[in-house]
Amino acid sequence: MLGSCRGRTMNEVALKQYQSCWFIRSFEKAIAVQARAGNVPGLVHLSTGSEVADILLGQQLDPTRDHVTGSHRSHGLALACGADPVAVAKEILGREGGLSDGLAGTQHLLAPETGFLTSNGIVGAQVPLAAGGALSANTAAVGGIGVAVFGDGAANQGAVLETMNLAATLNLPMLFVMYNNGMAQTTAAVDATSGSYCARAESFGLTAWSADSDAYTDCLKTLRDAVTYTRLGSPAFVEVTVSRDHGHYFGDEERSEFPPSKAMACFAKWLSEQGVKDQLLNTARCAAEKDAAAAVAAAASAPFAAANALSPWLGVQGGTDG
Amino acid sequence: MAEQVLTIRQALNSALHQAMADDDTIICIGEDIAENGGVFKVTEGLSGKFGAERMIDTPISETAFVGMGVGAAMTGLKPVVELMFCDFAGVCFDQIMNQAAKAQFLSNGRLKLPLVIRTTMGAGDGSGAMHSASLHSLFASIAGLTVVCPSNPADAAGLLKAAIRYDGPVIFMENKQLYDFEGPVVAGLPEISLGKARTIREGTDITIVAASAMGHRALAAVETLGTNGISAEVIDPRTIKPLDVGAIVDSVEKTGRLLVVDEGTAFAGFADAVIAAVSAQAFGSLRCAPMKLCPPDTPVPYAPAAELRWLPDSADIVEAATNMTEA
Repeated sequence: MLGSCRGRTMNEVALKQYQSCWFIRSFEKAIAVQARAGNVPGLVHLSTGSEVADILLGQQLDPTRDHVTGSHRSHGLALACGADPVAVAKEILGREGGLSDGLAGTQHLLAPETGFLTSNGIVGAQVPLAAGGALSANTAAVGGIGVAVFGDGAANQGAVLETMNLAATLNLPMLFVMYNNGMAQTTAAVDATSGSYCARAESFGLTAWSADSDAYTDCLKTLRDAVTYTRLGSPAFVEVTVSRDHGHYFGDEERSEFPPSKAMACFAKWLSEQGVKDQLLNTARCAAEKDAAAAVAAAASAPFAAANALSPWLGVQGGTDG
Repeated sequence: MAEQVLTIRQALNSALHQAMADDDTIICIGEDIAENGGVFKVTEGLSGKFGAERMIDTPISETAFVGMGVGAAMTGLKPVVELMFCDFAGVCFDQIMNQAAKAQFLSNGRLKLPLVIRTTMGAGDGSGAMHSASLHSLFASIAGLTVVCPSNPADAAGLLKAAIRYDGPVIFMENKQLYDFEGPVVAGLPEISLGKARTIREGTDITIVAASAMGHRALAAVETLGTNGISAEVIDPRTIKPLDVGAIVDSVEKTGRLLVVDEGTAFAGFADAVIAAVSAQAFGSLRCAPMKLCPPDTPVPYAPAAELRWLPDSADIVEAATNMTEA
């Protein structure tokens, strides 16, 4: 995506990314407000803290040929891939006009037209699906890739480990992106994981990188290198250190002693060091906050999906429904 | 049209050859399916014809390769995944139950999922408790899955072609005991619609519903019943879900009696589903309580005598049908 930004300076591109990060953060903040007000049917798992990783990854991908799958914590990733924010918000809030008209919800966001195939309610289950995306991309032979984004908790699922081996044995163009936010639900990664994530991936024959989303340029370069490498036709792995600024789900404030995400502040600091004026940073942030608030407000003002949203699905399997 | 006699194995193999030649988005995924032709030799010769890119041998990693099939189906391919034994669904059930079965619903119809999972069922060959189960009821209980259990070569080929062309996930269950069963097939292996039962024997006194290998046992029983003056009608549902309830109800309205013979689970299984549907829709036609013949509620035993005792056989069917018609 950055390569397509000819005519714009590096700073302009980065400032736009910064604005997109603020869009995700503000979107999640507005969803949290709706959740607190009881306007969300169930629990939501907010992606606050991984915005920089979401945006920098999303910008490396091509909706016309790449297939991305994400975890239960993928609001930001779906937005970063280009899913319509109002439709995403409506789906999270269970409203008419949501991505799936409110039938799927926060953990099952599907926007295949953007390349964001699906998020998932089962930890790690999205990873084999991305291998299928990689297989299709390989067959289509247009340089597309499959990308599975999952957390450090999923890294201990057999589905993930099996798929690393499968992708390596079939030499699939598949990128495994592990967001390490240090917590698997309420269990600290250090208590749940033996050995090193990158070493695991390397032991399967994958090329592996690690990056910290607090370090903008390093994270950007790593993700760009990993996507470029995968596009050439081999599987790869990236561990990206991110934060999780809420509990496992919003309202679950366990482990609130964790420091809040620094990635956005670090990004702002880097932009300042590049000579971007504070006023521009503030303008970008304000615009993002306004846009995100408007998207979520538009969703919240839409009616909840009616019971008849289910109607198209009744009787499709032989009229054995009750 | 010209007919020839094929085994079910040959019919499935021919159907795959034809389907793959007609549509290059069809690929096969599974363990030992390419060079080896599959442990049951159903995919023999396909790798030589269509190459390693379309005949994909995998590690023994059912979760990864079934999931890869689901993802490939979401993104433009038509995968035919071989799961060697349906018992192995235990190691990849999430990908079947949560991923394959729910994707179309969760997309509210925006995604197609043209996925076929070919697997085996059927006790009777000493394979023991973890290579002999018949889990069609389990799959059929999951919303979103279509479940097919063919009993003869023409149905096997025609239903496999229909399953491959269908937009949703299909569990296609091949009975291990029937691979060598021979029968006539029409040239070109015409497609057979999913969800349509077939009356394999007409009769007037009792309706016997029996899929897969149990259909053959029912046919054997019908001969004996006939000599005893009992005219039995046998319906092979062919597709477990969606079930052709109408065909079964029509038959029961004629015969007034229903016996379901099934190799699936004795509790909350296919036989119970058939009985419930018929009881709800044709209660007034029933002249006696509908009955089922299923294996005991235990895993499949290993020793030959125990396995023989475990499976319903034609003598059991004769006894049950006789008791029902004499009642």
